[in-house]
Amino acid sequence: MPPVSRLSLCFILVTIVATTALGACARVRPYQRGTLSKRSMTADVDAGERRFGQHQTGSREGADGGTGEPGGGCGCN
Amino acid sequence: MRGPSTAGALAIVGAVVVLGSAAAPARADGELTMRGVYYKERSTRVIQPMLDGKGTVGDNGEVDGHLLVDAITSASVAAGAAGEAFSEKRLQFGGGYLHRVMDRFRLGASGRWSREPDYDSWFVGARGDVALADDNTVIGVAGGYGHDLITSNAPNMRSGGFEGELTTKLGSVSVSQLVSPRLVIGATYDLIYLAGVQHSPYRSVRVDGVLMPEAHPRTRLRHAAAASARWSGPGETTFIASHRVYDDDWGILGLTPEVRIVKEVDAGLEVGLRYRFHWQRAADFYQDEYAPDDQLRSDDVKISGFTTHTLGFKLAVYGRALGLPERMAEWRGEVIFEYVDQNNRFGNAGIAHAALSVPFEY
Repeated sequence: MPPVSRLSLCFILVTIVATTALGACARVRPYQRGTLSKRSMTADVDAGERRFGQHQTGSREGADGGTGEPGGGCGCN
Repeated sequence: MRGPSTAGALAIVGAVVVLGSAAAPARADGELTMRGVYYKERSTRVIQPMLDGKGTVGDNGEVDGHLLVDAITSASVAAGAAGEAFSEKRLQFGGGYLHRVMDRFRLGASGRWSREPDYDSWFVGARGDVALADDNTVIGVAGGYGHDLITSNAPNMRSGGFEGELTTKLGSVSVSQLVSPRLVIGATYDLIYLAGVQHSPYRSVRVDGVLMPEAHPRTRLRHAAAASARWSGPGETTFIASHRVYDDDWGILGLTPEVRIVKEVDAGLEVGLRYRFHWQRAADFYQDEYAPDDQLRSDDVKISGFTTHTLGFKLAVYGRALGLPERMAEWRGEVIFEYVDQNNRFGNAGIAHAALSVPFEY
């Protein structure tokens, strides 16, 4: 199996470094999380909309993935 | 290896629901969502009604399930014999269960099953995440295995019937991080390995004036990394930005940035706008014309090079905005319109959703 591509590796490293650096800047206390619990901050796209979107792009684009879930599941090859 | 039967798949989903319900308290919260989607492009039309349900189970569990039907009408060469319109239905259902352990960990499993006249597919997955630093950081891992079975004796097959299999293995890691009381960021990396039939038995490629069947590689290793940020700005407006980078060992490279804005106009009324851009480079072996000695041949538009622009509008209304009483005040109605501009043979597309979510207690 080929190794992880350089492009993906670079993107992952930059993202991890940025996430860690930003996360180290501040700690959000539980009582400060009212805004973060809003629907638009957690899941503005519900399960059915997300599933259809993944299915649609999976059957029309060859560059699928990145959602933590598999595409496919249909005869759209 | 064949996929599970209908009864077997129903038993799996049923077992998840029953096991989850076994620990249910006297009262729990759930939500049922009915959604209908209409998709139309130059030569393909899809109507997809679906039903989604989710609910809490005990103090620490969450269960979900869905059922949908795809009604597809297409004259697309990509989906059937050249120029011949066909209609077919696809049935899919799935479910999952997620359990919180020791406040900090969540463990879960999910599955889905799909059947259409010439294609059966199932996928099972497991996931887990851990919350760190006073729940400021959540790290997750997921994995799964899927199996597809393609069988066709359709009259438009050029050389008798066809049978093939495809297996999918998925590994995924994710992290989300609270940065401030108004900003959360996240990232996901997926590694997907496919082995088996990855061409369409219906499509043909013209080689020196002769139609030849497609021939794709039997394996494919796909990498997809995505990063996102959500910021709650002034005026009850949330800005969501994401970017995805994709590449695989077929030579396809994809870049997909997206922005969404969700504005709470009034109590119980939300408006959303969305723009998504997608660019991809063609697979190494994809060509407009092939020579007789080319071992790999494809007429699959999906693996060609193209760009798409998607513009979307969403309107969500809660029952309270309409003066509905008590629990009906939390009912949520939603309509979505999207337009997809794509510079390939599929042509542009229009998408419309209508949905109603009804929370309930049980």
